[in-house]
Amino acid sequence: MGTEAVSAASAAIHPAAEAMSAATPLVGSAPISGLLQGLYWFILVPGVYLSIVAFIAFSAARIVRIARAAPLPYPLAIYPEPRHPIRQALRDTFGMSQVYRRDRKFWAFLMMYHLGFLLLIVGHLDLFPNISVVSEQSRHMVGAGLVGVLVTLPTFFFLGRRFRSPVRELSTPGDYLLLLLLLFVFLFGDLISWGNSWTAKGFVMTKQDFAEYFRILGSFSFADPRTVLPGSHYHFIVIHVLLAELFLAVLPFTKIVHTFFALPLNAIRRLPWTRK
Amino acid sequence: MDAEMTSRLKALFETKLNRAMRLYLDTCARCGLCVESCHVFNSMPELRYSAVGRAEVVRKIFRRYFKLEGRFAPWLGETLRFDDDTLEKLNDAAYSCTGCRRCVVHCPFGIDTQQIMGIAKALLIGADREPKILSMLADMSVAKGETWVDSRGDYENALRNLEPEIRALWPYSPTGSPAVPYEKAGARVLYVALSGSHSIVNAAALFNAAGEDWTVSNFEAVNFGAFVGDSSRMSRIAERIVTEAVRLGVKEVAIVECGTAFRVMKQFIGPQPFNVVTFVELIDRYLSEGRIRLDPDRIKDLTTYHDPCQIARNAGVYEEPRRVLKAVAPNFVELTPNRQENWCCGGGGGLISLGELEFRMRSSRVKAEQLKSSHARIVVTACENCHSQLSDLNEHYKLGMEVRFLSEVAARALLPPGP
Repeated sequence: MGTEAVSAASAAIHPAAEAMSAATPLVGSAPISGLLQGLYWFILVPGVYLSIVAFIAFSAARIVRIARAAPLPYPLAIYPEPRHPIRQALRDTFGMSQVYRRDRKFWAFLMMYHLGFLLLIVGHLDLFPNISVVSEQSRHMVGAGLVGVLVTLPTFFFLGRRFRSPVRELSTPGDYLLLLLLLFVFLFGDLISWGNSWTAKGFVMTKQDFAEYFRILGSFSFADPRTVLPGSHYHFIVIHVLLAELFLAVLPFTKIVHTFFALPLNAIRRLPWTRK
Repeated sequence: MDAEMTSRLKALFETKLNRAMRLYLDTCARCGLCVESCHVFNSMPELRYSAVGRAEVVRKIFRRYFKLEGRFAPWLGETLRFDDDTLEKLNDAAYSCTGCRRCVVHCPFGIDTQQIMGIAKALLIGADREPKILSMLADMSVAKGETWVDSRGDYENALRNLEPEIRALWPYSPTGSPAVPYEKAGARVLYVALSGSHSIVNAAALFNAAGEDWTVSNFEAVNFGAFVGDSSRMSRIAERIVTEAVRLGVKEVAIVECGTAFRVMKQFIGPQPFNVVTFVELIDRYLSEGRIRLDPDRIKDLTTYHDPCQIARNAGVYEEPRRVLKAVAPNFVELTPNRQENWCCGGGGGLISLGELEFRMRSSRVKAEQLKSSHARIVVTACENCHSQLSDLNEHYKLGMEVRFLSEVAARALLPPGP
């Protein structure tokens, strides 16, 4: 389906939104409007590719650097050695047993967050044409907005925790900025998934619209996503995507690399033979 | 600090960046869950005395010199550059950490603060700012290994002079046979003691009672190279024990009750043609094999056991000392917490050798409270450092306890050979 056809289909579904989109230029003056549209396009299309490439390249570089470093000089395990060391390392990593034993509330929010993040990834992958988790006819993405809550609430908790002693004294400016960045990615995501369903006319944008945007991304056609994303929510999508790109690009340089390193670290703690 | 020194320290730091260290430095989420793991923080609640507080000093230097943010946005991670203030922070961090690794148990990622403090200690050596007493002790230990031939005769005589004490504990050895076999080629066990006679007398009585084919040699177990954080001197001190064990052709090397010496020999020197055990394991083995008999009512008072961190949490020797102790002290009570969660005595990591009595006492208040709440009258342990520190705590906090070595307790409970 061409972009014109998509736009037409979208307009048919959302006449109110289309009307609003057509009636409201991005800004008053035409040259600035054009510039802004170009910028928006850059953020929504090439920016996505660039941030993904940066994420993969920098993450790979970091992993390779660690893999190439000298091996462990000697075993660094903690005893007693568990009966099933591999199972224990997996439990430490994915069940966060240390956190569970010491701070149940923190553990609950961490589990909620990590589960939510996983569903968030699934929900976004579901927008690609060849992947189908929820029905293509569904107006909602995976979780119908609840997934956003699953990550947003814990992020508020994590941020609040950073303002309380002793974590406050341990925190660096980077810790706060990273959490704020995540929080705003999530809040704008929430705004898109929840906010657009609160309008008087119902949904401004649906899963099908996002899927069209992802189809553009997946096809590398470099088409303007504005043609498939109607209404003023477009601005929020641009901000959401921009912040997410920023997050992806900086991730390999932050402590969020624990995504990759938590399991090897727990293996070092649980398996005496990881010295090789 | 001049550019040359900075560059030297940076190069030194880089030599320490093995795979585990990079993971430890990259991953900490500063969640704060390790803060209360440390006995020092629990006794003196300042964040610089928490695991993460200490590790962050090293991590901030890492970020400054080895990460992009150090170049473009050093404020993001509050990075530190090498200067006097930073070296002071490193010293504070490294020598307030006993290397007990209790924090490793509690960290969601298992980050090893003792390893990170290894970098701090190496940097202090590089800047010539390490505690001179530890460095001197390590140098003396290395030098002793080079001139031991000169003092060989004196050492042999000193061992012979211990015979009456040993025979008082175990008078059943055949007359004429040495109570302490010295440099016996082909012996099954090489026992590596400390310089104090107490580390030989009790062990000799137990070895002889068990009819073990054993020997001692010239080198003591203590490894000041490990305390000062110098891997080169640590290896040289350990290597000569290895060489001696190979020369004598022993099957097993038994390390005296000294946690660090045991861990160095057991884990740090790599695979060897002999097995390494702590002497505590041998006592347990002799007992279970019926090679020694112990008086089951020898100690009537309420008795407890302190797990030395390097032997227990860091090497897995938990049950052996308990079995031996319960065989002579039926009135046994566990400390709370115990085993993996036991509080460090507060004397490890070279702190005992450094002196620092006031700091050691203040920083181990939580240990004194733990001992007191057990209501035990006797605390037994299996590590020289722990014994010294627990004795100091006992005196300082007026706990009214007796502090004993496990080998001492067992040797004094030896029963005559069975029928």
